[in-house]
Amino acid sequence: MTSAHGYTGDRIELTRERIPAETLVEHVRTSGDGAVVTFDGCVRNHSHGRSTLHLEYQAYESMALDKMREIAARVHEQFVIDRIAMVHRLGRLEIGETSVFIAVSAAHRAAAFDACRWAIDTLKHTVPIWKKEFFADGAVWADGEVPPAPVANQESASGAAPAAKRAS
Amino acid sequence: MGAMTAKVLFFGRLREIVGRGEDAFALTDGAPIDGIFAYYAERYPRLAEFRASVVASRNREFVDWETPVHSGDEIAFLPPVSGG
Repeated sequence: MTSAHGYTGDRIELTRERIPAETLVEHVRTSGDGAVVTFDGCVRNHSHGRSTLHLEYQAYESMALDKMREIAARVHEQFVIDRIAMVHRLGRLEIGETSVFIAVSAAHRAAAFDACRWAIDTLKHTVPIWKKEFFADGAVWADGEVPPAPVANQESASGAAPAAKRAS
Repeated sequence: MGAMTAKVLFFGRLREIVGRGEDAFALTDGAPIDGIFAYYAERYPRLAEFRASVVASRNREFVDWETPVHSGDEIAFLPPVSGG
């Protein structure tokens, strides 16, 4: 089920096309599962009181995929789940479109809920992807979050100071 | 002995400030990553405004600013992330 190169049933991708949510749900669902929990992150039509016209997502693609795979590996370590699919879209997105989709299958629902929540929270905090918001009167890069020190590749991360703290 | 260079990548608003996403940096082997950022901040002063919120990576791993850089390394300067 596991290997040094990850979990073979997982799907971790970046795409510039529409995210095939139903396909991802079917991909993670196997006969041993009692639950599939999904997160559908979509483009909303407002931000900080301004009307959003559209978004553009940019990524450090090779590192983003590495970090997403690390998240998937950590999910398998921390939660009793079966499979995870995690796909983030890049480029221009219109209002209502899906920017990120996560599906987690598990024998029992609690693990699937917990794992899905942890995966999206960690993605938003650590994966090098950036969102630019376009308004009628201009465009801004979203405020974002400063990633903490690496944790995914460190068995004992206790001694590592967050890079962001060193920077300040 | 060939020239020692590191690939340097810029993202988000940093890319807009520098005007390109990628550069080849002529390197003194083992120089800290902080010095590379300082080099660009001198040429593009607006970069310095964002230094406190920028995180650096070397070969696709987050690293601290004292990390030494070697020829062939891939360095990136990452503003606060906003995926999702």
